[in-house]
Amino acid sequence: MSVKFNNRDPVYVQVIRHFKEQIARGTFEPGQEIPSRRELANQLKINPNTAQRAYKEMEEQGLIFTEGNLPSRITKDEQTLKMVREELILEAVDTFVQSVRSINVPVQEALHLVKDTYERENN
Amino acid sequence: MIEIKDVTKKFGRKKVLKGVSFTAEKGQITCLIGINGVGKTTIMKAIMALTPINSGEILIDGEKIHKGSYEKITFIPDTITMLPQMKIRDAFVFMADFYDSWNQKRATELLQFFKLNETDRISELSKGNTAKVNLLLGLALDVDYVLMDEPFSGIDIFSREQIANVFTSHLIENRGVIITTHEINDIEHLVDKVVLLDEGVVLKEFEVEEVRENEGKSVIDVMREVYQG
Repeated sequence: MSVKFNNRDPVYVQVIRHFKEQIARGTFEPGQEIPSRRELANQLKINPNTAQRAYKEMEEQGLIFTEGNLPSRITKDEQTLKMVREELILEAVDTFVQSVRSINVPVQEALHLVKDTYERENN
Repeated sequence: MIEIKDVTKKFGRKKVLKGVSFTAEKGQITCLIGINGVGKTTIMKAIMALTPINSGEILIDGEKIHKGSYEKITFIPDTITMLPQMKIRDAFVFMADFYDSWNQKRATELLQFFKLNETDRISELSKGNTAKVNLLLGLALDVDYVLMDEPFSGIDIFSREQIANVFTSHLIENRGVIITTHEINDIEHLVDKVVLLDEGVVLKEFEVEEVRENEGKSVIDVMREVYQG
């Protein structure tokens, strides 16, 4: 696991995003065990306090859960998992729309191009 | 917590520290940044009472430094202090003789971590490996606070990465670390707090995640504002 972090967004926010992407992609399955805070800090080369903060935040958002002294796991809650995926899609669409709109591309043309590119990359 | 309160220091007529105040928490990595000659090393030496201060106060967990403190805090200078003819394992014996807090198990672990060989002679090590041994000798002490003076300077990129990895490992966890550097790039994501110094004064002291969160600025952005603004 290796992530490129930028220097301007809080690292803990970037860690959470990384987790959400893994969840949406299915690399992290519902109920899957995740690394300990210390392991995560080591893998991502970040401050252990930052890893701690990211886990605390994800726990509050219901993305992960911890039972007693066991390792933390990815949530099994369907609703939450669905929301993660939707959130990421909407975010990507927003970014896309903003950048094509800024160069005045009509929606039909944009959609057409999206479809073409998508299909070409699938082949 | 290490508290530095309004510390001043003169070398002859030259004022090196002109009322420096900041704190460094246990369990956090605090980074002192400033160009050469702003007093970074002097601050570290002052904390360790290796150089007398002219006024102000320095407290470690609420008390002034005393003989027993040296089992609780250690200073890793930017050059190794062991005799060059020593082998690495001789240096271990030397440290064990001097410090009750010497932890041989941790030293062995660090030796593997840095891929060093205990039968190597210090004088025959590369610059990068000398720096690693130097760091090892400090980190293998079971102390609450570690002060590191420029651990990255003049070292190749792979050694720098290896040293940076120490900061994300259990070897540092729960300790209070003060590190000086003028190259923040290597450790931007690793530090909790930054203290910006210039000509013997603290220009700014801030928590890096807080500044990213509230102002969307990187450490370099803040440095640019403070030093060039």
